[in-house]
Amino acid sequence: MIEIQATVSGALNGSLFALMALGLSLAWGFLKVINLAHFAMILLSGYLTFELATSIGLGPIATIVITAPLMFLVGAMIQLGYERFDVSELNSLLISYGLLIITVQVVTNIWTADFLRLPAELNPFSAKSVGVGSLRFPVPTLLAAGSAVVLVVATELVLGRTYAGRALQAFGQDREIASAFGIDHRLLGVLLAGAVGASAAIAGMLFSIGGTLTPDLPFEWIGLVFAIVILGGIGNVTGTLYAGLLVGAISGLVAVVWTPSTSPFVVFSLVVLALVFRPKGLFPQKGG
Amino acid sequence: MRRRARILAIVSVLALVAAACAGDTTTTTAGGTPGTTAATDTTVAPSTTAAPSTTAEGSGDPIVVGGTLSLTGAFAATGAIHKLAGDMFVERLNAAGGLLGREVQWNLLDDESDTANVAPLYEQLISQDQVDLIMGPYATPNILAAMPVAERYGYTLPQHTAVLAPLMTYACQFPGWSIGPEPNSFIPNQIADALDSLDGAVSTVALLTNESGSTAFVSYGIADDPDDPSTLNILPERGYEIVADIPYPPGYEDWGSTAAQVRDANADLVLMNGLGAEANSLIEAMQQLDYTPPLMFALFPAPGLLLGLGDAAQGTLSVSIFEPNEPILEQMDPEVGEIVDEYAERAAAAQIPYTVFETQAAASWNAWEILVQGVEGAGSTDGQGICDSLHSTGADLTFSGAVTFDTAVNNFWETTEGLKQIQGSEWVMVWPEDIAAGALVGPTG
Repeated sequence: MIEIQATVSGALNGSLFALMALGLSLAWGFLKVINLAHFAMILLSGYLTFELATSIGLGPIATIVITAPLMFLVGAMIQLGYERFDVSELNSLLISYGLLIITVQVVTNIWTADFLRLPAELNPFSAKSVGVGSLRFPVPTLLAAGSAVVLVVATELVLGRTYAGRALQAFGQDREIASAFGIDHRLLGVLLAGAVGASAAIAGMLFSIGGTLTPDLPFEWIGLVFAIVILGGIGNVTGTLYAGLLVGAISGLVAVVWTPSTSPFVVFSLVVLALVFRPKGLFPQKGG
Repeated sequence: MRRRARILAIVSVLALVAAACAGDTTTTTAGGTPGTTAATDTTVAPSTTAAPSTTAEGSGDPIVVGGTLSLTGAFAATGAIHKLAGDMFVERLNAAGGLLGREVQWNLLDDESDTANVAPLYEQLISQDQVDLIMGPYATPNILAAMPVAERYGYTLPQHTAVLAPLMTYACQFPGWSIGPEPNSFIPNQIADALDSLDGAVSTVALLTNESGSTAFVSYGIADDPDDPSTLNILPERGYEIVADIPYPPGYEDWGSTAAQVRDANADLVLMNGLGAEANSLIEAMQQLDYTPPLMFALFPAPGLLLGLGDAAQGTLSVSIFEPNEPILEQMDPEVGEIVDEYAERAAAAQIPYTVFETQAAASWNAWEILVQGVEGAGSTDGQGICDSLHSTGADLTFSGAVTFDTAVNNFWETTEGLKQIQGSEWVMVWPEDIAAGALVGPTG
């Protein structure tokens, strides 16, 4: 029974990381941008959630009304910068790493490097769970899982069933040819980067509901989130969700069958094996 | 295609490195150049030579104390506490006439919580800036990095918080916080003493351990020596059954799985030899499983954070060398109350979330007092002279009383550490009984 509970808890925890990975995977797959600033936006959103909740009493979930549009703008502006200076895929990694470091420092200066956590009276979700039989589903990670599923389904629908989505796919495959067919790749890129920024706001809000904020969090997230992106397949939206759930479930199960210290070894062994045998990810896309 | 594969490989390597760094609490996370001078009034051109100076008393030149703290990065939250305590100490010292009749200036550099920065910065402070004295950095790995530099140049090294006493082998390092020469024996024995007083209310223990240096040391002793004193050995010897032993890596996030394991163990005491916010994460994860352990212990939690959990953290135990509880303050010098009040005011102004002057700040104050009393005893800033003076006369510490330093036990003095417990909205010293400000409350439920 404990193994089942640990697997469920782990999978739900993994869904939060899948949510973080989703934006990164989309930007990398379609815009050819390896955007480490995505972690900066998640971090900033987590702190803004804390600030809005503690200073003006806004409910943690309601903060999305402010943070999502804000991060949409930030994401779009960063993409405009990449476009303006014609930043290559590899250079985007280096530039966005710089943006991440700057953000970490700014967050440290504003909120200090101390641990911050939403007080229990402002955060009705932190200690709550939903029970099914003897299984417990913690509400913070349940919210993350629900948000991840909604975002993945919405993204798949937009990509598969709208002109903008198909245009993005064409753009992701070959910029020049797509442009030759009249696709405004700049506008689409900016809109996608904005949407990715908004998803970072959701991830940041969900993290602040269940976790403790410190400025160096991105460096704890990066390894696991990239593992999910790689296992899910770059640009593979549904694959990212599956990979997040899989990584989380394996981590949870390994933690109780062996020890929590064994989990990173198992997860990153899986990444290495995937890179060798399934470099396009564990979950191939249709026609991919 | 080949280019894409190359980028994928680079990113994978970066991600693996980042994952490894995340587990290592010495991650570099902040911008700026290591060693950026932090304090506004602490940079002067020192007039001494590279070796610890013996400048004549009353020369008029300031005495410059060099040191680093983690002002940014993973350790910065606690680094800010040590900076404030140090600033206050130096200001009070100068207001009282300085040291050897000279003003004291603190040349404080930021090591960015990166152990790799520490040794070069101390080299810089000693060989280039030619500081007169040095003060240790914060956190055991950083102190271990600074110690060989101090030893090489013959500087006395007061340090705030190194717990791994057996590794602190330099004869002229002096701890400001001592858990005795064997913390891996003292802490579990003190916990067992406290549990014994509860008349059998606790018999089983679930042990969780952050696998970083100091916490793993307390749980398991020196690595590869199963007979070394440790929580894992001592508690069973004292009659407490360890029903779960769960080590976890630094930076661990999957508390849901671990909470399930702890719930399944159903122990009377959850003993968490962890750091920072980990106890908060575990308590909330256990709450989500509708489980509250009868009694909880957290070894080195972030100061103040557990209080934010309200009822969920009531009764949680931890270690402390000083808590400003009213009954304790009443027995101490009135100056202690002034220090506590000033610290609270300035910590609030500096946006330090937990404004109570407790263990970390007290350890910092102790370290500065050790340095000052060593200099006064030697009558100069000569490193060996200070070291000899401290060995011969010890130090009289405001927050820990009179202490002596014995090189046979690496200068780790007889500890004054006790146990504190969350009672109501504050930490209260509860053990041992002779220094307690309140009674130890046993398991609930």
